[in-house]
Formats: sequence, structure tokens, C-alpha cells
Amino acid sequence: MSAALEARGVALSFGETPALRGADLIVETGEIVAVMGPSGSGKSTLLHCLAGILVPDAGEIHALGRRIDNLNEAERSELRRDRFGFVFQFGQLVPELTAEENVALPLLLGGVRREPALRRAREWFGRLGIDGLERRRSGELSGGQAQRVALARGLVGEPAVLFADEPTGALDSFTGEQVMDLLVDSARRQGATVVLVTHEARVAAYADREIMVRDGRVTSPAVAS
Amino acid sequence: MIRLGLRLAVTGGRAAIARLALVGGAVALGVALLLAVFAGINAVQSQNLRYAWLNSAVTEAATGTEAADAAGWALREDYFAGRRMARVDVAVTGPDSPVPPGMTRLPAPGEYYVSPALASLLASTPADQLGDRFPGRQVGVIGDAGLASPDSLIAVVGRTPQEVAGIIGATKITRIVSVSPQDCSGCYVGVGSDGITLILSVVAAALLFPLLMFIGTATRLAAARREQRFAAMRLVGATPRQITLIATVESTLAAAAGTLLGFALFPLLRLGLDRITFTGERFFLGDLSLTWFNVLLVGAGVPLGAAVAARAALRRVRITPLGVARRVTPRPPRAWRLLPVAAGLCELAWFIDRRPRTTNGQTEAYLGGIFLTMIGLVVAGPYLTMAGSRVLARLARRPATLIAGRRLADDPRAGFRAVSGLMLALFVTSVATGVITSIVAYRGETPVGTATYDNLSIGWYPDHGGKLPAADTPIPAGLTTTPGVRDVLVVRYQGIVGNLPTGAIGCADLTRHPDLGQCPPGAQVGAVYADLSRPDFGSDVYEASPMTLAQLPSLPVNSFVVLTDGSRAALEHSRTLLESTFPDGRFPSTENEWRSDFARTLVQFQRLADVVIVASLVIAGCSLAVSLAGGINERKRPFALLRLTGVRLAELRRVITLESAVPLLAVSAVAIAAGFTAAALFLRSQLDYDLKPPGLSYYVLVGLGLAVSLGLIASTMPLLRRVTGPQQARND
Repeated sequence: MSAALEARGVALSFGETPALRGADLIVETGEIVAVMGPSGSGKSTLLHCLAGILVPDAGEIHALGRRIDNLNEAERSELRRDRFGFVFQFGQLVPELTAEENVALPLLLGGVRREPALRRAREWFGRLGIDGLERRRSGELSGGQAQRVALARGLVGEPAVLFADEPTGALDSFTGEQVMDLLVDSARRQGATVVLVTHEARVAAYADREIMVRDGRVTSPAVAS
Repeated sequence: MIRLGLRLAVTGGRAAIARLALVGGAVALGVALLLAVFAGINAVQSQNLRYAWLNSAVTEAATGTEAADAAGWALREDYFAGRRMARVDVAVTGPDSPVPPGMTRLPAPGEYYVSPALASLLASTPADQLGDRFPGRQVGVIGDAGLASPDSLIAVVGRTPQEVAGIIGATKITRIVSVSPQDCSGCYVGVGSDGITLILSVVAAALLFPLLMFIGTATRLAAARREQRFAAMRLVGATPRQITLIATVESTLAAAAGTLLGFALFPLLRLGLDRITFTGERFFLGDLSLTWFNVLLVGAGVPLGAAVAARAALRRVRITPLGVARRVTPRPPRAWRLLPVAAGLCELAWFIDRRPRTTNGQTEAYLGGIFLTMIGLVVAGPYLTMAGSRVLARLARRPATLIAGRRLADDPRAGFRAVSGLMLALFVTSVATGVITSIVAYRGETPVGTATYDNLSIGWYPDHGGKLPAADTPIPAGLTTTPGVRDVLVVRYQGIVGNLPTGAIGCADLTRHPDLGQCPPGAQVGAVYADLSRPDFGSDVYEASPMTLAQLPSLPVNSFVVLTDGSRAALEHSRTLLESTFPDGRFPSTENEWRSDFARTLVQFQRLADVVIVASLVIAGCSLAVSLAGGINERKRPFALLRLTGVRLAELRRVITLESAVPLLAVSAVAIAAGFTAAALFLRSQLDYDLKPPGLSYYVLVGLGLAVSLGLIASTMPLLRRVTGPQQARND
């Protein structure tokens, strides 16, 4: 196995408050890793650094064989658009767009023409069991439906890495399990690496490996054994 | 990407459509007003050009084809019922005399042409009050091309060359002047178009600033929602450039739609505009038109400006995939912000006793100071808001006061922005009202029953080319017996004696009419002005004349002063009689007539200022309401959570009310104080006048404006209840 993601001594502070203090982590290609830890431990910040959303103050981030912490804003945007997918807890759908347009958004931003982008987006509605919701807007979807739309959007570009931050945090346990089943199943089918931030043990159980973040450091196996 | 931006702008549900409509509506209003200002400026220029032919006596300004036969030409100013009238006496010397616009030929002796407005007056007025002033018969009506306004009172009277040559100021012309008075040295008939253009520019600024604030506020409405959407797009890989493009497309679309609507609104505004007499006379509707340059400037400039503004607005925030971060944490406003307003007022104060000599110098000095004060208020506003809100928070005894104080202190710029348009409107109104009320009080029209209104005088001034009537010239027959005429006084010409006025009158005449002033004790003859206007320096007492009572009858006549009861019939009959008897000199007028021209123009500007204040207040009120609604919308979740934790709705209402009402009332007080201070300094410096208290209409207008604003604050309260329901606390 080769490393899909690697963090080396990553440190990041928000003002005076340190969020990460020399975090190290290697995620192998195709691996599903659950990042766990108490509130404020820095697990989401680590995910944001690995995904090129935040730039660390110190340390290095490597993704898919290339160092990304020294890329500029536009290059990191392109990386997120073309190679990564995202599923967050809430607030990730564009309210003005329909569900299918939301799913097609990464493709449209990448320059794919409208019709092919929507066609590819629609394929995911069937796969994720949300047929018939294509024309609805985010406000007309239930929490579980919105999360499946978000998952479809995260996967439509066939990303190499899927980042999921508390993807079931706003869902009841039954819906949460359905979403997790779909997420893991789809990711495995695509061969995508998954970094899953959660504080729920039953969600973490879907992962191949769990790591623990405490006080801004990765404290339990940073490398797959 | 442009398609996506368009799609987001037009299909974003009710909120997006409302935002589009609001911004589009604000832009439409702005564009219509801007076009109206351009049309107004063009109309002033066109009207001025229409006056050109009346300056034909300024022969060196004439540029047209030279006529073979010169025409005798004498222009004089006349009045009817307080309205100014132009009368040109002309004498044809051959078949090819120059012809003014609006006429096919010059009238022959015994004929006259009149403007349509004068023609209808002639038809409705007894001849002994107006028609008898014009010898002969009316042979035609002057066409629009020869009129400055549809209401212009103009007469072109045909006389013999000998008759015209005897008229004061007569000359011979071979060409009609067609150069605008503003481009002609020596031309005196016309409007001070530079000054009016400048005033209209101030009006435009006074209107546009609140409007820009409104557009800005409307654009920011639901900014949180829009920024949340941009953040979501950034998360899935949209680059900052793509986000900027989408935002620019949205703003440009709204501005373009608004611009189109503005062009559609303009004709309606134009219909009302021709009733406002900026120059003292109505415009022809056709003169209120736009040039292609105006159309291009507004049509392309406004959407382009909106695009630039949208880009600039996004530069201030950094939209990250995790949300929106301000590029820099706004620092609290500093005390230096008070400097520009202080500098503006100091500049005005500095010119007291140092009034610039030239008109241009005065315009630059005073308008510069007033502009600086106006800009200074905008600059100082956030600091004053912050200072006020800190006091509010410190003195807070209730949670609502504390929250409102802290929020205002946290972002005083936003708090001030909502009321800044209102503040400027109040400042402009206070300056305009202060200046106009005071000038009108000193130099304005006087009512019937005052000497300046009731007394008609006809005078001869040898130092201005007038030929004095002989000493034995009788009072025109029938004048003293005219109904409403109380007395006719003869002022004699004593010549230039030291610094004394050139007129002389027996003190017994003044004793009979004490309202005209008095002789000094012991004097027999007083030194007076020809029109018997009051002595200088506010005194009631004239200086004594060196002439004796016995010498008076041998002195030539300087003037006849007709004391009337102020009735129109008495005044106009006397005037007509005097003009018929003395057809070659200056025409008679009352003091009120010649001095009230300026005051009447000022009153027109007061009306304009009223229109501006009402429009500004409405726009500023809309801005305030939109800003409040936006503020409530942005904080619906924290407010909903507060309600869930037991905070009563009334407490939240108090927060919203305090947040808006405190800056509103504070800046209103500052704006009014600054406005009247600026007006007082200007009056003292330029005219040596004291500031007079404004009339009732000012208080009504300001009170109404503030009441409407407070009403608008109250109108947002139902929204607060609706958007802070428990469903808003959901994490969806």
C-alpha cells in the first residue's frame, strides 16, 4: 500500500489558541480511517489541513504523492474539486440549487457542460436510494435525504479521497447507519480513501482503523499496523 | 460560470428574487433620479440658450449672418402682478432686418408680438392695467423657439427708428445673438447656469448618497445566506475567482435590470420635473431631455459600477470553505474621524470677515466647507455611534440595553450605515433651510401693507444714461385720482453731493407718510433714494439735504413715487399710466418686485430642498428598514435560541429598537446641529446675516421623517416574531 495522505509535524493555531501541536498521520490508499477525540481536540482541524482547506503554520501535508501545504489558494481549490470529496455535518448544500444541481456542482465548477454534469449527477440518485428528489431544494429535504445528496456530491467526481466530518452528527441513529452504509459501500466500490471524523464509536466502527487525537496530537496509531 | 451565476441569481427561490427585486428597485430609483438630474442640467442649459436672443444688444456677441438692414433695439424689464416681463422695442429700417427666433418678421410701428402667456394675460386683464402699455395692435404670438419658458412674459413692440433711438439703452443691431449667456461676455439676460448646475450637482449628491447607501444595504441583505452558499461552493472546489465572478454576475444582473427600470421610470419623473421652477421659470418639457452621452454614461456606467462594487465588497471578506472570515478584524473607529467635520466647520468660520472677492472664490470657499462638513459627518458617524453605544452599554441596567450597546460598539460602522442616509438628508435640509429662511427674512418678498410692496416708483438716473425730466414735469393726469392710490410724491434730483443719495424730498411729504422714514430734526429737505427705499443701516432717519425747500421745485424730477393700497388694480393701473406717459425710460417697479426676484428663486430652491428631503428621507427610511430586516435575518438563530432559553420576545424587540433608534436619534441631532452651524457660519461670512429660526414646515418635515423612521423600525417587529420561532434553532 502507498500513502494517500500524510501529515508530518503539523501545527496550527487560531490566534493564541493552538489547535494542532505537531500532528503526524499516514493514511494508506483505499483505507478508511476514523479520527476520534473529544470536543476541541483538533480532529476537525486535522481533517481541514489534510484536505487543503486550512494551511498549517508548521509541518508538511502530502496528498496523493504531492506536497499540498505550499500550494496557493487556487491550486488547493482545484485539488479539492478534482481529487477530493466532502461530506460534512450540515450547511453544505447550496440552498438556491436543486438537489441534482448541488450534486453536479463540482463537475460544473470543473468545466463539465451542464447536461453531461446533470446526467452524471442523476446516476447517483438511484445508487443512493434518493430517486425522485432530483428537483427538490435543500430546504425541501429531510436531514437524511440532504446528507445522501451531500454524499452523492462528494462522490460524483470519483474522488481519490473522501473527507467526512461528523457525517451522521445531525441524523437519528437509524438514518445515520443508512448513510454510513452507503458512504462506506460507495467509497470501497470506487477505491476511495476515506478520512472520517467522528466522536461516535458506532460510526468509527465502519472504519478500517481508528486514530485518536488529543490536545492537537495524534496519540494512537498514527500509522496502519 | 456566468450561466451558473445567472442561474443562482434568478432561481434562488423567494429570498433571491426578493434580493434581486430590492437591489433592482433601488438601482432603478437611483438611475431615474440621476437621469432627472442630467435632464435638469440639460434643461438649464437649453433654457439659457433660449434667452440668447434677448441679449442681441450685446452686438459683439452676435455670430450669425449679418442682416443688410439694421434694426433699432431696446430691451427693458417690466412687471405685471409681481411677474417679470421682458419688453423689446424694435424699429425696422428695411426689408432685411434681423428677426428673433419664434417670429417671422419684426413688427412695424404700431404692431406688437407677445408671448402666449402674455397674450392670455392681455385677454383677461383690463387694458388700463396692461394692454395700454403696448401701442398699436397685436399681430402675432411669439413661437416656442423665442421663449425661455412656456410662462415667459415677452413683448416685442414695433416703433419708429426715432422713437427707439430715444429709449434708454437703445442700440442698433444687425444680428441676433445666438450664443448662450454663459458663454457670452456682457450678456446679462439669462440664468446663472453654472450656479444652478452646481446646486443641482449638490442635489444629486444629496439624493445619490442615501441611495447608494440603500443599494449597499439591499445588497448586504441576507449576505449571511449568500456567503454561506459561497462557502459551500468553495468547499467543493470553487476558486476565489469563480466566486467573485458569480457574485459579480448577480450584482450586475440586478443593476442592469434596475437600470432598465430606471430608464422606464424617468419619463414619469420628467413630467413632475417640469413643474419645479429651478430657474424661476418652468422648463419646456422637450428641454428636459437626455444627451446620448448621458444615456451611455448611466446605461453602461451603473451596471459597471455595480460590478466593481460587488468585487470590492468581496475583497473585504475572505470566503473560505469553512465559512466567511473578515479579511481583517475591523478596528474600532478612532477619534481622528472627528477631524474632517471639525475642519469643514473651521474652514467656514475662517472665512468670516475674509469673504473671497470673486463669485468663483466664494463658491469654492463655501461649498467646499459645506461639502467637507458633509463628508466629515459620514466619516465621523461610526466613531460617534461607537462612543454613544459604549455609554449605552456602560449605563445598561437591562439585558436588552446591554446587548444593543455591545452590538453597536462591536460594529459601529454597520450601525451607522443604516442611518447615514437619513443623517445626510437632515444635514442638507438643515443647511438649505437655515440659509434660505434667513435670506428670505432679510431680503424676501414683503406683504401687502408694507411700503416696499405698495409703493411704485419710476425713476431717472443720469449716471445710468437716463435723461432727467424737466423740473416742471407734471404728475401724469389721472394718477392721483386712481382708485387705491393714496398719494404721489415727487423726488427731485439734487445731484451728487458727497456720499448722500441723489434724491431730495420735502420733509413735509415724509411727515405725511411716516412709514417711509423721517427727516432729521430741524431739516426741511431730506436726502433720499429715488424709489424712497429705507435709509441705510436699518435707520428710520434720512440725512438732511443741503437743498432748501424753496430750491426743490426748480430741481429736475428724479422720480415719481406712487403710494398705493397694494391692490393689483391700483398698482397695475398706475404702472400702465406711468409707462404710457414716460415710454422711453426705465419702467416703474416696486422695491418688492426688483428685490424679490432673488428671494423667489431662493424659495424655488427651498421647494427643491423640500423635494430632496422628502425623497432622501423615504430612501433613507427604506435603507433603515432593509438594514433592520437584514440584521434580524442574520441573527435569527441566536435570537431563536435566546427565545428557547426563555428570553421574552419583548426583550428582543427592545434590543432591535435600541440598536436602531439610538444611532438614529443621535446622528439626527448631530446632523441638525452641524447643518445649522454650517448655515450660520456661511450667512455670517457671506452676507453678514444672523441665522433665523426655520419655519414650521421644517419642524414638520423633520418630525415626520423621524416618525416615519421610527415607524419603520416598529414595522420590522412582526418579522422578529416570525423568524425567531423554535424551528430556527434547528441545525439543518
